[in-house]
Amino acid sequence: MNDFVKIFQPSGILDGTKAKEFQQEISASLEKDTKIILVDFQDVTFMDSSGLGSLVLLLKTVRAAGAKIFLCSLNDQIKILFELTSMDRIFTIFPTRSDFEEDIVQQEL
Amino acid sequence: MKIKSSLNFKVKSNLNALDLVIDSFSQIDKITIPKKDWLQCQLALVEAFTNAVRHAHKDLSQETEIEIKITLVEGCLEIYIWDYGPPFDLQAYLKNLSHQKPNNWAEGGRGIPILHKIADRLDYIRDENNRNCLSIIKYFSPIQENLADERN
Repeated sequence: MNDFVKIFQPSGILDGTKAKEFQQEISASLEKDTKIILVDFQDVTFMDSSGLGSLVLLLKTVRAAGAKIFLCSLNDQIKILFELTSMDRIFTIFPTRSDFEEDIVQQEL
Repeated sequence: MKIKSSLNFKVKSNLNALDLVIDSFSQIDKITIPKKDWLQCQLALVEAFTNAVRHAHKDLSQETEIEIKITLVEGCLEIYIWDYGPPFDLQAYLKNLSHQKPNNWAEGGRGIPILHKIADRLDYIRDENNRNCLSIIKYFSPIQENLADERN
């Protein structure tokens, strides 16, 4: 498989500072052939609103590049953050990585 | 009312102290607070802290201390955060916010709306020492200890 689908798995606390670094990493991959991005939150312990803000910026960047971004494996705290800000309606979120694979990879490839 | 848990600590005005704030909050009794309420309060504390660093202490040294006090009484968690920033009219800000349609595509500006949604009472008061005190009061239905024992 080439870089068509790319999976990112940040870890620890995802605040604004950390999300910005991670955002740059993803933006760089968009310059290649990446069309589908999955951010797996499996190892993210906590996210605050500035982390979420960076994710929104990332969503805009990804869409502008004609690509798609999906999220999976959000813990309860991150789910609460998405619900409180209604961002659960803006992002496409899968319960687990295998749900993403079944749904998206099958469909797109 | 009996105080079940209480915490008082100071942190510097540095976003790197976020780990410390999260770790400190984890000392608060998780047994009797429903998980959702506990997680919401943890998030509220973090939003309040980062707000103090980013906004209230924007023009102050990183050494400036932010004092945090958390008190848990039966069915109620109270979080107080003191900063040395300029006065700010939170109620006017909230009132103004209620007239605006939220912008889903904004990069920032979600901190105070989150606090407003989580807190049952939210206040920002100037005290006599030229500090501001943000108070976040959250009520919940406590889980009875015997049930909590079974759960764990």
